[in-house]
This record gives sequence, structure tokens and C-alpha cells, in this order.
Amino acid sequence: MFHKFEAGTPAIAEGIGLGAAVDYLLNVGLDRIHQHEQAIIAYALERLEEVPGVTVLGPKAERKGGVAAFTLAGVHPHDIAQILDTDGIAVRAGHHCAMPLHDRFQIPATARASFYLYNTTEEVDKLINGLYKVKELFG
Amino acid sequence: MADIMDDMYREVILDHYKNPRNRGKLEPADISYEDDNPLCGDRIRIDIRLDENRRVKEVAFSGQGCAISQASASMLTEEIVGKSVDDLKQISKEDILELLGIELGPVRLKCALLSLKVLKAGVYGLDKTTDSPNSTDQSA
Repeated sequence: MFHKFEAGTPAIAEGIGLGAAVDYLLNVGLDRIHQHEQAIIAYALERLEEVPGVTVLGPKAERKGGVAAFTLAGVHPHDIAQILDTDGIAVRAGHHCAMPLHDRFQIPATARASFYLYNTTEEVDKLINGLYKVKELFG
Repeated sequence: MADIMDDMYREVILDHYKNPRNRGKLEPADISYEDDNPLCGDRIRIDIRLDENRRVKEVAFSGQGCAISQASASMLTEEIVGKSVDDLKQISKEDILELLGIELGPVRLKCALLSLKVLKAGVYGLDKTTDSPNSTDQSA
């Protein structure tokens, strides 16, 4: 009966893809992924806070996932992102679909680095070096 | 450093960003307009005073945003002093890109052209300062 309300082809490929993704993650182990994410975000926040002029927003590492939103004094996040991009480091810049929150903190935008199971601490170091480059350029 | 970065953050752009020309507000002004790019949070206000021949006597800009948006506004204010209102209407997107002297992708193009958009809106008689126009591009 319900078939008559189904327009077009169902998302068969997507369903199979989702199954494969779930298998992959369960195979790695959700606990291990969570541990890795916690370890890398803790390291990233620690390194970010070392950089003069950087302000990290949001809760401490143990209370969040692998995302680090930050500002760098005197440099707009779009400029940060653009310069990091030339070193192959992809961060998001802007409101991240949370404009009222940025208004609340009275900041025009933030830069945001995201980490997951495929990221390494070496990549965090690369991000930090990139931020020093940004500072040098805008110093 | 990579070529793209040298291009986009040319000395002249960083200079205008760090040492903006004509920064401030003119109150009262003959033309005054403010707008933003809601996606990135760039905001520019331009105030203009005209002389008796309807030419730009004084101009000031204020606002905040990335280096491209602020440098572009600073350069534009230098460019328009002495120009007539009709001259201002003739300024094109290409003129701004020539001032900046860089190649820009679609996202950064909006940063570069915000000051021109504000200038045009002001000149074409929308001479009011709006606090939060929230006009377009709400997909942030």
C-alpha cells in the first residue's frame, strides 16, 4: 500500500553506503574513536592556548567533541583560513550556522579546526605553525 | 611562502588593512550607508560629505571584517575624493579589482566588493543607515 506514495527510486546506494560506514566504524571501535578524538582535542586546545593572541571558545576538551573554535587578535578568521589553506590546512571560518552566538560574544566570526579519527598530533602542530605564519604576516 | 598568499596579501593590501585611510565617521553626512555580508560578518559603513558642486569633499568608512574587505574600503575612499555623484555611479566591479590588484575566488569577491555595494546603495539615494539589513544570503 505505502509503495504508491514512494516517488522515484529510493536511496538504495546511500543505504548500502551507510551500512558500510557503520561496519567500518564498529570495526575500528566507537570507544577507540572517542578516545582518539578526546586525546587529539585535548592536545589541540593546549597547543592553541600557547599561541599569543589566540582565544579558544567553548568548553574544555573532556566536555566536547573534536572541534576547536578560536579567534586570533587582530586577524579576521577569513584571513586566517585563507593563509592556512595555502599550507594545505583546512579550517572553517565564519559563523558556522551560529550567528546569534557570535553576536552574544560580540565577535564577527571564528575560525574552527575539526579533528577526527584520521587526524594526527603532527597535523595539530602544522596548524599551530600555520598560525604563527599568520601572525608574522599580520604582525 | 606560497605564491597565492603573496598575491592575496600583497604589501599594499596589508598596509591599507593595518593603516586604513579615511577611517571614522562623518556626522552629519550627505550620504551615509551601512551594510554587511552576513555570511562572513564583514561590515562596512561609508559616510560622504559633498561640496556645493555635488562632488565628494570628505569621506570616511567604518566597520570590521577581513583584510580584503577593509583594504578595499580604504582604497575606495582614497579613490573617490573629488569625484561627482555621477562619477561614483560609474565605478565598476572591475575598477575595485584593479585597485586591489589580485585574483579572487567567488567567496572572497564578496568581501572585496562590499564597500562598492555600500557606496552604490548610498549614492542611489538609499541614504539611510540601517542597523541590520539582513537582506540576502541567509544560508550561514
